[in-house]
Amino acid sequence: MFDTLISAVAFGVVLASVVAIGSMGFTIQFGLTNMLNLSYGGVMTAAAFVAYILVSHHVSAWLGLVVGGLFGAVMTLAMGVYVFRPYARRGAKLFELMMVTLGLGLVIDYGLQALSRNNIYQFTVLQSAPIHLGPVVITPTQVILAAIGLAVFIGLELLLRLSRVGKALRATAAEPSLARSCGIRTGRVVTVTWLLSGFLCGLAGVVYAIDSQSIGYSSGQTFLPLVIAAALLGGAGSPSGAVLAALAMGIVTQLVSALGQPAYSQVAGFAVLVIVLLARPGAVGGGHNAEAQVTV
Amino acid sequence: MIESEKLADAPVERTASDGDGRVVLSARDVVVRYGGVVAVDGVSFDVKAGEAVGLIGPNGAGKSTMLASLGGQAKAAGGSILLDGRDVTKLSAYRRARLGLLRTFQSTSEFGDMTTFENLVTAGNGFKGASLTSVVFHRKENSRSDREIAGRAWEMLERFDMTHVANAYAKELSGGQRRLVEIMRCLMTSPKLLLLDEPMVGVAPHLVEKLVGDLCAIRDEGISIIIVEHALEVVRALSNRVVVMSFGKKIADAPYDEIVNNREVQDAYLG
Amino acid sequence: MGAWEFYITTLLVYFAIDVLSAYSLNLQFGFGGIINLSYIIFQAIGAYVAASVSLGPDTGANAFQTYLFGASLPFPLPLILATLAGAVLALVIGSFGLRRMRKDYQAAVLLIVSLIAWQVVSSDTHLFNGSNGVTGVGRPLGTTLPLSSLGYQWIYVVWTLVICAVVYLLVRWLSVSPWGRALRAMRDQEDAAISLGINVTALRLQVFVIGGAIAGLSGGLLVEYIGAWSPGAWGYAETFVILTAMFVGGNRNYKGVVLGTLLVPILFLELPRFLPPFGYPGLIDSLEWVVIGLMWMASLLIRPQGIIPEKRNLVYAGNFDGVLRGRSMSKLSLRRTQKAEAK
Repeated sequence: MFDTLISAVAFGVVLASVVAIGSMGFTIQFGLTNMLNLSYGGVMTAAAFVAYILVSHHVSAWLGLVVGGLFGAVMTLAMGVYVFRPYARRGAKLFELMMVTLGLGLVIDYGLQALSRNNIYQFTVLQSAPIHLGPVVITPTQVILAAIGLAVFIGLELLLRLSRVGKALRATAAEPSLARSCGIRTGRVVTVTWLLSGFLCGLAGVVYAIDSQSIGYSSGQTFLPLVIAAALLGGAGSPSGAVLAALAMGIVTQLVSALGQPAYSQVAGFAVLVIVLLARPGAVGGGHNAEAQVTV
Repeated sequence: MIESEKLADAPVERTASDGDGRVVLSARDVVVRYGGVVAVDGVSFDVKAGEAVGLIGPNGAGKSTMLASLGGQAKAAGGSILLDGRDVTKLSAYRRARLGLLRTFQSTSEFGDMTTFENLVTAGNGFKGASLTSVVFHRKENSRSDREIAGRAWEMLERFDMTHVANAYAKELSGGQRRLVEIMRCLMTSPKLLLLDEPMVGVAPHLVEKLVGDLCAIRDEGISIIIVEHALEVVRALSNRVVVMSFGKKIADAPYDEIVNNREVQDAYLG
Repeated sequence: MGAWEFYITTLLVYFAIDVLSAYSLNLQFGFGGIINLSYIIFQAIGAYVAASVSLGPDTGANAFQTYLFGASLPFPLPLILATLAGAVLALVIGSFGLRRMRKDYQAAVLLIVSLIAWQVVSSDTHLFNGSNGVTGVGRPLGTTLPLSSLGYQWIYVVWTLVICAVVYLLVRWLSVSPWGRALRAMRDQEDAAISLGINVTALRLQVFVIGGAIAGLSGGLLVEYIGAWSPGAWGYAETFVILTAMFVGGNRNYKGVVLGTLLVPILFLELPRFLPPFGYPGLIDSLEWVVIGLMWMASLLIRPQGIIPEKRNLVYAGNFDGVLRGRSMSKLSLRRTQKAEAK
């Protein structure tokens, strides 16, 4: 029993690192633009398919990871510039923009369904012998995924805290109009954020495919609840919050799974969000009519 | 002790009607905290029937927060708020409204996609008519009261000279007209006390005088008013008394003319 | 001829059921301002409940099926239970999903609920038989009515259209009532509605539950017609078809949503049947979804109020009564008042 719990926690950490990459990307974009981007799952799947094509042509999965990330970055930027910005210019507010991202998500998801012939594909990365760490049996790939999660977190924190871009980003997220009047070119900051968030999104998509060893058009969509829940729970714009929330959700999810209820594992993760909603409604934003500003 | 002092020196110079001097609203040592910041720090004052009280002070003094704590939008961390002698401190905003404590907002809050007339009728239906049980089970009474409310709404439009925009969507109205819609909407509910948060924001300068006149008329009907307003001439014209706040505390409570000569108040404004 | 008649009647039943869905969503969003992205799960629970209580005991004929209650309740009861199930589920989800929060957060929470409910029901075979779903649901009164199968089709068309009409009268009456006005007030300015004494928490929950009940009813009608129900029928995206119909036709207006339902789920989604097949099987389905997404985005960009916008309740000194009962002024009297105003 104890052993089961320990290994559940270990798998929880692996899952958490996958969720965390996604929610870090989600949260920095959300924190800056204030727009809830529900087409995020679609971009994740698209990037994973790009990596899948590379891997099926015998390119290394790790190169596929980087290319998938870059693809996500470009795709997100293109969406931002050619879709969201025009809507925002025509006066779309937070809510309307979220609706637009939903429609776009539908287009991407089912576009991928059409392209993938609605099949689920094996996404196999060369497996080496599993490692035994006490009761925990874990594959080297999983260890690497957890390490990638950690590396992304540290890299992002360093970037946000130390670089000029990071400082500009934080300033803009806190007070867009003030940042603008201080000479920060918010348009450029938004562009950088889209690239960064898109890169993490693509990375998360590929990492998720590697972890689950399969890919289909709805991969991103099934994974999205955990990503959004972690981002909302961790607080908009806070990568460290997202990581902590992802850890909590990853571990809870895997514990429930290990206790013999795999069907309910995601429900358990979501339950964490619901409890927070009930206990601290203020944690997820202000009133219904709060017309926070969109920076797109 | 402070209470009795204040009651004693609050001058009652009512212009018309309702001279019983009954206290409608009484705030006692109200404290409001936002996170670690104490926005309102132990403020007490009374408002009598038919009395208009101006709530003024420099920026960040906590006036709007004080108003929100009276209206129920901000939670009071300490002290109590009595409406007609009843403790409403723990009641939520909509319950206070049902007891006759109505408020307007700094940014206009008309129901934009409804016509002016509908705005008034909605308010006139009040919470009783709007409840699902009443709609389902009291249909006859409802249609009778609907007619009565519609008639009142029309009278209200006539009184404020707004019949020509009865059919206009509220979002199409001018700033001053929207303010009027808000105020008329409050009046439709037969309030005891109105809380007005910066009612002159967005009102064209030449209409300010008319709006002040309307507010004075409302006050003279016996409806108490608490007004937060930057334009001091408005406060002066309307209020019987002025409460001055600075850094979350009440520093003065007297008629307007006495306030302007008060040293402490001058210091507060000059920083 | 028979095949055509069969096809037409099937379309009419689907149309009626989609109109029910559109009414439910329109009451919730058009009037209450709540965008219910989990709509389809309320329809799904109605369908599952109606199926479960009418399947009858396990005879061993269908080995893959789990029989929940072994009950086969008489005709109107499954529908009533389906309606109740929708309402109860709405009460449960509304109690946390409708907390006072930013509108876009709320939408996201409801979307997540929809995604997760789908995953749970698909993977837990003890709950409505997992991804295989339930089959063999008998048609109500199917054996007692002395009708040919085509005759039964027409009876079912009439039956669903009658329900549709009754629900229309109900939602319309509700939305022009003082309750409906309070709902619109909440939609336009929640803080102001509260400060007029309206209990928005209760109001939101009420409209959510009424919408949920209509959704449950529509699910019950659907499963009794098609005889089977599985997660394949209620992916999260199904909600978007109805919402797109609502946005295209004109949310906040019942005529508008009927028009939208005619245009989107009926005309547009049925059109490809008459095209020569192309690509691999399933390609057309996927492309249809892509176009639904594009329509959704386009309607938000081009005409957010839809083809038929919200009705303006015109009023002059003499016609309060009509306006309060939801009748707009006739064109003639409108022109007369406009002239009077011009003077």
